[in-house]
Amino acid sequence: MADLTNRRWYTGMLTQEDWWAVWLGVGFFFLGLLNLAGIDIVGFLTYPTKWVFNVPEGGKGAIGHAFYAIGKKTSMVSKEFYKGMGWWSIIWTYVAFTIATCTGAAFMRWNLKRFFIGWTIIYFMTIATWFIGHHGFIAANKINMHKYGLNFALSLGGGGSFILALIVGLIIGNFFKPFAIYLSEAAKPEWYIKTAIVTLGVKLGYLPIKLAGFSHKLGKEAAGLTFDLFIAGAAATIVAYMIFWPITYLIARKMFNLPRKTAAVLGSGISICGVSAAVATGGAVRAKPVVSIMVSALVVVWAVIELVVLPGFFTHVWPKTADPIVAGAAMGMSVKTDGADAAAGELLDEFMRNKIAVESNGTVIWPEGIITASAVMTKVWIDMFIGIWAFVLAMVWVYRIDRRPGETVLASEIWHRFPKFVLGYFFCWFFLLAIYFGPGQGGSADAMPYLKTVKAGAVPIEGPMRKLFFMLTFMSLGIITDFKKLKEAQFGKMVWVYFVALFIFIIPIAMIVAYLFHHGMQIPNIAGYVQ
Amino acid sequence: MMNIMMDMVIRHDGKNWVVENDKLTLSAPTIDGIDEKVRTFMRQNELVKKGDKSKVRMLFDNSTIPQWIRQYGQHYFNRVIEVEG
Repeated sequence: MADLTNRRWYTGMLTQEDWWAVWLGVGFFFLGLLNLAGIDIVGFLTYPTKWVFNVPEGGKGAIGHAFYAIGKKTSMVSKEFYKGMGWWSIIWTYVAFTIATCTGAAFMRWNLKRFFIGWTIIYFMTIATWFIGHHGFIAANKINMHKYGLNFALSLGGGGSFILALIVGLIIGNFFKPFAIYLSEAAKPEWYIKTAIVTLGVKLGYLPIKLAGFSHKLGKEAAGLTFDLFIAGAAATIVAYMIFWPITYLIARKMFNLPRKTAAVLGSGISICGVSAAVATGGAVRAKPVVSIMVSALVVVWAVIELVVLPGFFTHVWPKTADPIVAGAAMGMSVKTDGADAAAGELLDEFMRNKIAVESNGTVIWPEGIITASAVMTKVWIDMFIGIWAFVLAMVWVYRIDRRPGETVLASEIWHRFPKFVLGYFFCWFFLLAIYFGPGQGGSADAMPYLKTVKAGAVPIEGPMRKLFFMLTFMSLGIITDFKKLKEAQFGKMVWVYFVALFIFIIPIAMIVAYLFHHGMQIPNIAGYVQ
Repeated sequence: MMNIMMDMVIRHDGKNWVVENDKLTLSAPTIDGIDEKVRTFMRQNELVKKGDKSKVRMLFDNSTIPQWIRQYGQHYFNRVIEVEG
């Protein structure tokens, strides 16, 4: 049966992952806001903390407390109830998200039985790696390792869990291929990351509220910083677009003699936003779908290589902790696919925050999520722009290069290619900003009780839910990535175009453009307000 | 407002572009070939009269794209061609 999901402007609302990321993210966001009515039904969301086998006397890290319901810390009305939940919060979270994701899978007409089994396996593998990754040896740093009775720790923070999830996924994807194929029905990194990005909107909107709890001035600084990221991200993205695409297209055409359409699809895939750009451009230039499919397979593998290499490079080589926002923005412009980029941004966030805490001996602590946001912001702009870029390419191709008298390029194509999850991201962000500047009175002391209620609803979404969906993304990315694809003969020149364009042009240019637009942006220091 | 005479579904079978609806199925290795066949069919069956103009909309069948890719990009293209009688 034909899949005409883009027949009309609204027809994909119940059948596309993009929209289901919005429904999941915004749906749980509103469930969280029920706190304003005195009802807390999101406090069950599970969250891990650092643990060790042998807890030192007076120290921290009992295994029994390795997972807890976030409401234990945040709930205004049901704190005692959530305190008793402990590890059972994993099951509550599983039930809630199984209902939500299976509903989405049913509407998207996936194989529900396979999705349910795959989802269940992926969820519990994710929880297991989340648990292992929070062992004190991996997650603690030299500031806090003594509380866990350790004399050495890897200082990876939550990043250790992400790396583990990716490794487990890659092992399945490359050594247990039949199992990976079975899991593929539920290994949906883009769906999970888009959902996580919607909840990142909650994080951005909540940031001024959180920092206002420390000081009125910090709250305002945070609101200003997120707005600066929004503007700088747009400017940097447009500049990068104008440079990346022509360079990659020329490399493909002049150095590697690839056909025009293949060069255009490859140019978009490598230089813009990976698979979505390859698909959009393939359609725009009326290429055979196989061209986009081949480029997509290549993009997915290269994106994972970037995800593994760049966070460490930016943290330890350049720009290090001197310019964390520059690093985040450069990540957003370099790493293709939303999943790999946001995941790399989150990894960078963990690495950078741990590094600055260690370097400054605990006198500088950055709130989490801002570096991730800088990586995602440039990517979101890139995603939004692809519809317009593909529209322009379609006009150039249809009216100039492959002239077809009588064919019309439809303006509705821009909407069909627009990344709908972005709507959820901005909606959550601006909704919370409106609360902060409206009834929250810009973080004034009088409004703090009200803002604390908002916090009780926002934290479970921007914390546990967002982190869980990031973890699911890392695991799923690994499962669907098969490195053998790089060896497949038919890719030939494409692999080399990718290599040359990415490492010689795109990453260095992304770093320069990110520096020009983001240099000097400061992350607020909250060391004086947190233990 | 665009006046669409006929809606068709367009897909690629790995070798040819195929357009179809409940009345007909046409295939050709290139999009130009498809357009030519659609125009010929409409003229031969007098679906467009001499001197008149009509529009055919081709909606892309997303099942052409493998499911694992659809999570990244869910739109290939829809297109409209004008047919003169």
